Order: sequence, then C-alpha cells, then structure tokens
Amino acid sequence: MKKKTNALTAVFSLTVMFVFLLTTIFMPKKKTSENENRPLAELPELSSDNLSEGEYTHGLSRYFTDHFAGRDVWISAQALAEQQICESIVNGVYISDSRLLDAGVSQRQVSMTYADYINRYAEENSGAVYMAAIPTSVGVYGDLLPEHLLSNSERDQISRFYDGLAGSIRKIDAYNILKMLSDNYIYYRSDNKWTSYGAYCVYRTVIQKLGFQPTSYDKYTISHITDAFRGELYIKSQYMRSKPDIIDVYSYPEGTEILSCTGTDSSGNIHECSIYNSSALETPDMYRFYMGYGYPEYNIKTSLNNDRRLLVICDDTAYCFIPFLTQHYSEIEVLSPEYMEGGIESYTDTDEYEQTLFIFGIDTLCENGEEFNSTP
Amino acid sequence: MIYSSLLFIYGFFPLSLLIYFLLPKGMQRTGLLLMSMVFCGAFGTKYLLTFFGCTVINYTLGRIMGQMRKNGSRFTWIPLVAGLSADMLMLFVFRARLPGILKPSFAESSFPLGVSFLSLSVMGYLMDVYRGKCNAERNIVSFCLYTMYFPRLIMGPLLRYDIFRKAVRSRDPSLEEIGVGMSLFVKGLAKKVLAADNLFMMYNAVRSVEISKLSALSAWLGALAYVLCLYFTLSGFADMGTGISYCFGIKLVQSFNYPMLSSRIKFFASKWHMQLICWFRRYISRPLKTLTEKPWLRDLIFVFSWCMAGFWYKFDLGGLIWGAMIGGAMLLESKIIKKKILKATGMIYTFLLVQIFGVFLAGDSAAGSLHYIIVMFGGTRQLADSFTIYLLRSYLVILLVSVYASTDLFRNMMMRTGGAVIRKVITAATPFIVTAVLLICTVFMSYSGSSEMILMQL
Repeated sequence: MKKKTNALTAVFSLTVMFVFLLTTIFMPKKKTSENENRPLAELPELSSDNLSEGEYTHGLSRYFTDHFAGRDVWISAQALAEQQICESIVNGVYISDSRLLDAGVSQRQVSMTYADYINRYAEENSGAVYMAAIPTSVGVYGDLLPEHLLSNSERDQISRFYDGLAGSIRKIDAYNILKMLSDNYIYYRSDNKWTSYGAYCVYRTVIQKLGFQPTSYDKYTISHITDAFRGELYIKSQYMRSKPDIIDVYSYPEGTEILSCTGTDSSGNIHECSIYNSSALETPDMYRFYMGYGYPEYNIKTSLNNDRRLLVICDDTAYCFIPFLTQHYSEIEVLSPEYMEGGIESYTDTDEYEQTLFIFGIDTLCENGEEFNSTP
Repeated sequence: MIYSSLLFIYGFFPLSLLIYFLLPKGMQRTGLLLMSMVFCGAFGTKYLLTFFGCTVINYTLGRIMGQMRKNGSRFTWIPLVAGLSADMLMLFVFRARLPGILKPSFAESSFPLGVSFLSLSVMGYLMDVYRGKCNAERNIVSFCLYTMYFPRLIMGPLLRYDIFRKAVRSRDPSLEEIGVGMSLFVKGLAKKVLAADNLFMMYNAVRSVEISKLSALSAWLGALAYVLCLYFTLSGFADMGTGISYCFGIKLVQSFNYPMLSSRIKFFASKWHMQLICWFRRYISRPLKTLTEKPWLRDLIFVFSWCMAGFWYKFDLGGLIWGAMIGGAMLLESKIIKKKILKATGMIYTFLLVQIFGVFLAGDSAAGSLHYIIVMFGGTRQLADSFTIYLLRSYLVILLVSVYASTDLFRNMMMRTGGAVIRKVITAATPFIVTAVLLICTVFMSYSGSSEMILMQL
C-alpha cells in the first residue's frame, strides 16, 4: 500500500510539474499584462556580464514568473488566500473592509530636493507661488491601518515638507480640508488618488487664495463616466473582492468654454487633445482619462477674456484638478516634471506668469526627486 | 534560483529529473555534477568560481595529506592547517561584517548562499582525512559533487564526506523514491512558503514597533514568531534539499527532529539542526576534550563549542550569547535537575526558555536584545494592548497551525494510533494532499515568483 501511494504521489506531482513547465514554455507569450497594467518581462540576453552576478537567472526567473501558465488566476487566488491566513497585507497593499490602502506609507521619506527647487523657483521668479501637497488615501484614512504600519504619517510628511518651504510661498492645507470630509467619496477605494469630488473640495480653498470666487457645487452637472475603474492598489494586490470605483466629470455648461487644449511631447511636437482622454477608458489604466496622454506640457485656452494666466507644475494627481481651474483663467499652462527631459525653462518662460501653482501628491514628493534636479 | 521559486519547481527541477533518468547509470553521477554546476552558476559565475576554487584547494590538500599519511610523514598537519585556514578565511570574508578596506570587492556585492555550510563540510573532510577516519578522495568528480551537490547547496543537510559518498554509491532511484522525495520536498516547501513567510511578516510587524512601546505579550509573540520562523526556514530548506535528493535516489538524513516540544533544553538541543550540532561536537568539543581530564575545563569546552555554533549562525555577539546560553542551560540542567520533572512542566519551561534565548539570535545588538527581554518581562508595565489583539486576530490561525506542525504530535498519532483505519486513510490520501499543497504553495509564490526570505544568510 505504502509503495503504491508513493508511486502515485510521484506520478501526480511530476504530472503537475511537467504540465506547467510545458504549457509555460509553449503557450503564446503576451507582451503586456492587462490585469496588472504593465509590460511583461522579456527573455534576458545571454552575456558574460549578466552571468557573472547572476543577473541572467534573475531575468529568467522574472520572465518565467511573468509568463507562468495561468498567472492571472494564480495571483488573484494569492490575494484571497493571503488575506485569509495572516495580516491583510498583500504585495504591500493593506486590505481593509472598505478600501485598499498603501501599507508602505511609513517607509517613505520626504525628499527636500523638491522643497529646495520650489524655494529657488520662488526666488528667481517675481510671480506669486502657491504650493499644495495632496495626501494620498492612506493619509486621510490612515486610521484604518494597524498602528505599527503608521509610525510616519502623511500628516507629518506634509508638515515636514511645508517646513522646508520659504515663507513667501503660500501653502495650502489640503490635508485638513480632506480629512474633515473623509465621510464623502473623496478618494478612490482602489487607488491612492483623490476623486474629482476630493479635488473640488480643495479647489474651493485654492481658488480663493488665487483670488477668485469658487464655482458653487450646484452649478455643476456631474456625470459618471465609468463605474468600473480599478486603481493602482487593486492592480498591485489583485484583490478581487474590492469594489470598483466611479470616475466623474464635473461640467458647467453655462460657464467658460475650453477653446483649445494642446499637448507638447518631449521632442517638441504639438498635439491637439482634450482635458478628458476618453480613449483611456478602453484601457486598464482608466485614471489616464484625466489628461493622461503622457505629455510633459499642456496648454489650455478658454473663452474667458480676463487675460489671467496660470502656470501649474504638477504630477498626475493634479490632472483631475485642472478642469476646475479652467473657469477662472484665459490660459493655463500645465507642466509635469515626471514626463520631462530637461528643465522647465525649455518649455515655457516662467517669469511671464503672475501666479504659479505647484500641486503634487505627497507620495511623489517622497521619491528621490531626480526629475527636479535641473535648475530653473 | 532558490528551491522555493517557480523557476526551480517548474523549470530546473523537472528538467534535471528528466535528464537524470534518461542517462545510463554510469553517467548519472557526472550528469548530476554538471547540473549542480549549472545550478551553482545560476547564482553567478563568480559564485561558481568561488565554490570550484574551494573544492580544488581542499581536494588537492586532501590528496597531499593522504599521500603523506601513507608515507608516515610527521608533517601531515601542515596541509591540514593550511586548508583549515583557507576555509576559515573564506567563511570570514563572506560572513563577517568587515570594514570596507578589509573586505575584498568580490565579496561585497554578492553573498554566495550556502558558503557557511560549504566551509564546514570541507573542514570536516580535511580533519577526517588527517585523523584517518576517511580516505582522501582520488576522484575529483566525486569530490566536486560533494561540495556542489545542488540538493544540499542551499542550507541543505550538512553531511560528512564518507556518509555522502556511501549514499551516492548506493543510490537506487525509482518511482517510489520520487514519491517519497516529493512528499518531503512539498513538506519543506510548505514549511517555507506557508509557515515561515507568514511568521516572518508577523515578526516584522512586531519589529516595526519601537521596543519601548511594546507590551509584554506582544514582545512574547514577536519572539515566538521569530523562533518558529527560524525553525521553519531552516528545517524547510533542509527538507526540500533532502526531498530533491531522494528523487535522485540519494538518501540523505533528516536535520531536525521536531525540537520545539521537548521536556528539557538537552532534548531540544539534540533535536535541533542535528548534523550541524554534531559537526561542532565531532570536530571541536570532542578533540579538545581529549586534552584535559579536569571536569570544569571539559564543561567549559562543551559550552565553548555551543558558542561557536551560535557564532556560526549569526557572526556576532548575539549568536555567541545564544550558544553560551543553550550550552550553559544544558550544563545547569545536568547538575541541578537530577530528579524527573513532570513532562508538561518541562515542556513549558523549555519552550519559554527557547523563546528567550531566541531573542539574542534575532536582535541586531546584544544590548537591544537585552532590552527586548526586559520588555518581555513587563519592562513597559503593560501586559497587552491593542497591537497584541491585532497580532492575535491576524495570526492566530497561522500560529496555532505552525506550533502544532512544529511538534511531533501528528507523527506520533500516525505511528501509535490504535486504529489502523486512520493511518490507512491518511496514507491513501497522501498523493492528493501532496499535490494540493504543492499547488497551494504555487499560489503563494505566484506574484513574485519566489519566496526568498531566508532570515539568516548561511
């Protein structure tokens, strides 16, 4: 009996191993993963260089894992299983009952490179400079995290960042605005970023500082563009039980019209575009609906004739914020350092603007800040 | 490419089995060596060169010693000392935290996993040849296979050369052996992927809180998680290695014999990492003890060999203290506890003491570990807090299952149970259980492709 079951064990397990080996090798290979929204690893090249440190095996392992037969099924099963048997942390994402949160918030360190850059910018340009550091969802909903993951909260990170800014820069306390409204749908459940409503709430304060009266909420017509948005935290954790999110558009038909929106790519070609990129809704990365063309520069002209021009320097957290600003300016210039090659000065003359608004997610401000190294 | 990775389980391992069984028996040993070299080289050709260089040096010195012994030379100790110092040097260069200038550049960037086991193996071989316990190997293929044999390369069982040689000679690969091997391999894999990785998360959660803010119970849970994680990592890798080796028909010995539920520290020590502890007894304490008759000196030597074992684990003061405490506790036990104590009392006392000792293996510094132990005994004047409840709520299942799995209760039930029916049912279900566990482990490795946490770089 013992012998027979041993032989059977061997047959079973060998079958499993060889079936997955062969299907993994012979299955047609995909270039990108739709579920994970990223390009899949390619077969590494053999060379004496990458052999000596084991880089080749590392690449091969990456390739084998990415193209492993039935990967999508495996990893969504992993998220469910892991959440069951231990702490609810899957691939660095904390799964709470109501939303997904970034579990690595305490490991982030604020990078002062950005603060230094903004200080220098304010010194060298005569216009007024405004700065808004936007918390991510874990900043506002940090209470949902277990204590030990929250030794270094976003509130501290933001105030440390603001402490590093010169006094002449007007700082916008987005954190407390959003924190007070945390019962509303101001953050996506499956993403780090704020929703359009969250952006609107901060807009009300920002625009007053910039010298305008905010457009009141009831003037807007709100349309749900999609209710199937899966944010980056979902993509990272592949936790199927999280609810998909809604993407909204706030339109004000009686208000100012957008006459033109052009995007400039990094090689200087100008493209016609729109502040809403509907084609992104067909892709897994639906957040790119908000100006997500990947251009470093956008120029928006409106039907307003007040000759007010605004320069916005931001990351993609701010893209859903821009539409609200269009009600007040005849021209808005949007620059995104993360897509830039070279410094800001090669895109526009910063001294021409009376007002410059910096809007960044605090998570961006915590990175190493390489794209900001160029002097203004 | 460690054992607990998709590339190994669904790539290298089945392919190497296929090649092995296609080869005629006479070629199998060479085939195994070539595959082992590929496995070694997969960590980097630098790594392969380190291992190969070490092999050639020890092989040559072994041959020289063998020849000298035959001629009755009085200078056999010269190649022995040369070899031992070379191996020691290798161990220190890779393991010790040397300041930048002293550390050669090749040892800086990468750590060859398994180098600690390798150095012990070859040192043991040299000493055995010196004492005539084992003949110097003439065949370099056999010797290379000993140092690079891939099923024991990554923290696999530590074996004496003559035992390994015998095992390779008497190999008898068959389908049944593959079944036995796969059961063992999957058991080890589950220990690593299901138990150790999750326990590591728990240990990490405790470690991320400042020591002065921990409550006593949380500190105990952290220590428990560390010790269990260490046990499951080490024994998991040993089981995986032994299992793979069984598939090739080469039977290696088990490394752990369910140490966690012992009624004395003495029994714990005799079941913990058996080959390794045996090595320190055979090559350090026993030869030293022949030098003296004084009982107190012999006791000191005994503790010293445990210190060395602890030092080998960690390469710092904490490891040394761990060894000293285990050795010291065993000495005290033999002097004080003469009478039989109740088994349950003994088990609880051993279990708790092992957790406390374990803190020294876990900590970054001896002072930090001491602070941690004070917290375990109420240094923060807090028995439990919300974090304790969070830990228990998140990890209770994994803790209970792993504590049960770390004891021999299940094995005893299988061996002693009166009802042969249960035994039969479990035996019949084995193939299904093994396959299911293999698939479950695959689920847990699917995102990153491997489970590389190893707790200690050995």
